Amino acid sequence: MRTDPVSTNLARRALTTARAGLLLLTCAGLAACGVLPPVADPVPTSVTPTALAVPSPATSSDLLSPDGFDAVQRMAVRIRNVGCGRLSTGSGFALDPHTLVTNKHVVADSAQLQISTYDGHDLTASATSTAELADLALVRTDGELPSWATLADTDPKVGDRITVVGYPEGRALTVTDGTVVATTTDPLNLSLGEVLVTDAPVEPGSSGSAALDADGRVVGVVYAKSASGHSYLLPVSTLRQVLEQATFGPAPSCTTR
Amino acid sequence: MSDLALVPRRRRVVTVALAAALVLSLTLSTYLIVAASSWRGAASGWERLAEAHATEAAQATEDLAAARTELAATREQLDTAQARITALADEKAQLGDSNEVQRQLTDYQARVSAAAANVATSLASCVDAQNQLIGYLGERERYDAASLERFAGEVRGFCAEASSANRRLQQELAR
Repeated sequence: MRTDPVSTNLARRALTTARAGLLLLTCAGLAACGVLPPVADPVPTSVTPTALAVPSPATSSDLLSPDGFDAVQRMAVRIRNVGCGRLSTGSGFALDPHTLVTNKHVVADSAQLQISTYDGHDLTASATSTAELADLALVRTDGELPSWATLADTDPKVGDRITVVGYPEGRALTVTDGTVVATTTDPLNLSLGEVLVTDAPVEPGSSGSAALDADGRVVGVVYAKSASGHSYLLPVSTLRQVLEQATFGPAPSCTTR
Repeated sequence: MSDLALVPRRRRVVTVALAAALVLSLTLSTYLIVAASSWRGAASGWERLAEAHATEAAQATEDLAAARTELAATREQLDTAQARITALADEKAQLGDSNEVQRQLTDYQARVSAAAANVATSLASCVDAQNQLIGYLGERERYDAASLERFAGEVRGFCAEASSANRRLQQELAR
């Protein structure tokens, strides 16, 4: 049988096209594998949330007792000066587990000192000594004090805010705020060096109260009040100086006169 | 190759190509069905998981609100308790002050009473002795003058003791 040469060429061309198509199809198939979506991963039974920083309550709980009073309240004490035929009250604050700081005039001429804490707990004073050149006194206690103060490194400046913690009029524990308004020499001539004048309200009975800075550190000790309502503080530098020089003598008692 | 052999071969190649395309299409379709099914399952699984966590989150939010309410109530109770503790400590301190004042007053009254009793006793001794001395002096001739003088000195001592007791009483009263 004879064939037409034109048909033969067409057949050859179709064969080549078919081969090319098959090759193209194979390549397309292989390429399609790359763009096909993968099979989904199995779904987990639970997911772990992003870890968030949990605020620690330690910063505030360090300052709190189990009854919720903060450290500055727990370190404040009420001092009852039982004299010979007289009675007066003052304030003080703990310097360590067995030592109080107060004013010399708070403990002067006593037959007995009776100390009570913020929660009414009574403590016995075992020894009392007074500073020679400042209206300051130290009282040792038999029982342990609930909390004690940290002394600031420097004196407050005029304009600084302070907080006074004490027992004005011998009544309930009170926390009042004020500002240092000036410095001056001691108007009562009880102490050497400069003293601080503040507008923090104090009353008789507030003597010996601790004045605290914003961090709760002692920056002064209340010891007097002016007729204009200003209160006077012995600065912490004076307290530090007296403590370092240890210029203390026995407190005068009304029973040894 | 002869032209006659090209025609069957062409058909065979075309057939193979079509068969290959068919197989490829079937494979691809099968894969797509499987993938779609897996994604449908995964979507359903994630939805269930999201619902479960949403429920947990809602419960946690509810628990948090309840805890906050409880905390606020506890804080209020704590504030009340602190105020009560402070008030009770103040009451105790005031009672202690009052007791101390009463004790000092009692001590003072006891001292004044003792001084007054001492004055009365000394004064009685002085008066008795003076009366006795007056009697002795009324019968002066019956007694030795030196003895009378000695007794008079003792009487002055009794009365001086009464004066001292009275001064101590006045000092106690002045305190």
